[in-house]
Amino acid sequence: MSRLREVLNQGAFAVTAECGPPKGADPDVILKKAELLKGKVDAVNVTDNQTAIVRMSSLAACVLLKNQGLDPVLQVVVRDRNRIALQSDILGASSLGIRNVLCLSGDHQRFGNQPQAVGVFDLDSIQFVQVVRRMRDQGVILGGEDLTKAPDIFIGAAANPFGDPFNFRVVRLAKKVAAGAEFIQTQCIYNLERFEKWMAMARDRGLTEKVHILGGVTPLKSAGMAKYMKKRVAGMDVPDEVIRRMEGVPSKKQAEEGLRICIETIERLKEVAGVKGVHIMAIEWEERVGEIVESAGLLPRPGQ
Amino acid sequence: MITAEQKPLDEIRGTISHFRRILVLGCGSCVAECAAGGEKETGMLASALRMAAKMEGKEVLIHEKTLERQCVRDFIILLDDIVHEYDAVLSLGCGAGVQAVADMFSEIPVIPALNTEFLGETRDQGLWVENCLGGGDCMLYHFGGICPLARCSKHLLNGPCGGSVEGKCEIDPEIPCGWQLIIDRLEQHHALDRLEHVYPPKDWSKKQGGGPRKIIREDQQR
Amino acid sequence: MVQERSRKGGGTKKNELTLALFYCQNIPESGEGERQALEKKHGSSLRLFPIPCSGRLDPIHLLRALEEFADAAYVIACPEGACRYFEGNVRAQKRLDRTRDTIAQIGLERERLGIVVNAKDNPRGLGSVAEEILDRISGLPPSPVFGKRKVAKERRS
Repeated sequence: MSRLREVLNQGAFAVTAECGPPKGADPDVILKKAELLKGKVDAVNVTDNQTAIVRMSSLAACVLLKNQGLDPVLQVVVRDRNRIALQSDILGASSLGIRNVLCLSGDHQRFGNQPQAVGVFDLDSIQFVQVVRRMRDQGVILGGEDLTKAPDIFIGAAANPFGDPFNFRVVRLAKKVAAGAEFIQTQCIYNLERFEKWMAMARDRGLTEKVHILGGVTPLKSAGMAKYMKKRVAGMDVPDEVIRRMEGVPSKKQAEEGLRICIETIERLKEVAGVKGVHIMAIEWEERVGEIVESAGLLPRPGQ
Repeated sequence: MITAEQKPLDEIRGTISHFRRILVLGCGSCVAECAAGGEKETGMLASALRMAAKMEGKEVLIHEKTLERQCVRDFIILLDDIVHEYDAVLSLGCGAGVQAVADMFSEIPVIPALNTEFLGETRDQGLWVENCLGGGDCMLYHFGGICPLARCSKHLLNGPCGGSVEGKCEIDPEIPCGWQLIIDRLEQHHALDRLEHVYPPKDWSKKQGGGPRKIIREDQQR
Repeated sequence: MVQERSRKGGGTKKNELTLALFYCQNIPESGEGERQALEKKHGSSLRLFPIPCSGRLDPIHLLRALEEFADAAYVIACPEGACRYFEGNVRAQKRLDRTRDTIAQIGLERERLGIVVNAKDNPRGLGSVAEEILDRISGLPPSPVFGKRKVAKERRS
């Protein structure tokens, strides 16, 4: 059973977090993160070789989380696997009790520590959503051959309200919904005005009635981090006022300010029509997720 | 056209070092267009190699010749009278040309002087850009004449990915986002709504699913 | 084919090296008469090659000169912007740079190839520029392309 789906279907404001697997074979790292997040969130995403850096597989890490009683969201990028492997992994994930999948393109292999690798991209993320949906609802793989048992998966995709070109961003969201996405997690939000514009366009197209949108947030640890994200991370919008706010506080206090901004963002997201939850990406800062959720008035989580 | 660039001179000299009678073979077609292996470049390379040999005190015979196309049997066969005078051919053809010559004269080592790169256009003088992957099932009409496979770094059929910055690809600001180009072009043609369609997975077997590809035309045979 | 060159005693005099000089026909004092006078003055040290435009110069001609007889090969270009054929000498510089890279890769000094752009105001005559270039290259050793026998000769004398 997908706890995330249950919470969203009940109409409660959902909370998800993110967890990065280690660059090694040690399960303890994941188990420690599970401890920090248990009871604070509805589901936990596990990233898939994020930034094209080799890490423990998302599927394995999801199983470790599942064994600790959490509801994992398996992130799958299309960069590293062809359609055979992708469909196979969906079947495997479902058999292991993983009930949520997030279908992604993936950062280009150039960014990571294996830049000489071939980038597969046999399917793109939208085609992948379509494939998974058909596997689940029609019990067939690509090409129409029957599965002996259909996977049971709640299907998600990512959206970036801040990417280029702005006017096409909602069309892309519409395509993901048309392909069968049931929930969306967005890129992290610092520019609420621009996000609200995007949401307005999504509402106009009737998309908020067809898909659950969770707004992404990432707490800033320092002014330096804010500036780095503004300059160096593609598809990110960090307004100058956020940077000024971080810089306006002595460096020892910047982490607290970053957390404060994060909590304020969540409070505002709760008020945006069509936003059904929040996705907290506090990578390598998972220990603060609990207090963020609590300070935003989102504890206790339904059914926990 | 097929584009290529000359290998570093050191690498070329290393590969030919134990040969004493070398035919430097150019091609007047694609590689001439991208100034890598045409008659001029062939002459320059041969001259440089001769000078290098003299400086080393080596007795090496180095001649040059340029074929109109190195990938067409009817042109390669013109070498029949002379090629056996040499113990190696240094080819400035693209990979197709090098292999065609090697197949025809299999007893003579044919050494590539170029690194073959991509199918592309001469965008401007001195500028060649990749624009075709030889996908075998051309969908250019749908995308306004801009190939998402060749010009999107992730070859997405339902792009863009969301990583572009000011219309440039996330991996390199020198590379325009292929999907930005497609969107702009379709807007120009008032056909942007075409992109609302979810394009299904590509049939890659037309590109690489059946091993090395070939085309047979009986109406063209002798 | 290596050309034998006449030797005029020991020591490194500038007339022991052979310069192949390509020049744009627009350069002052380059008529038939002036040219013959130059050739007479410098003998085998200077070989002159008039061309319609330095932009039309093919790098292969420079290389061939170095390969066959020259210790150095130079081009005299018109001043930037003054070229009759648009961009002729801007492009010549770029092509020359690339050819210099090539000879450097086989162990020849880059200075064996060069381009001299004539001044815009008061452009100099062919003879004047030729003398300057001969002077410039006088520090170079004889080209190792033909050099082995000559070096041996020098040591003996």
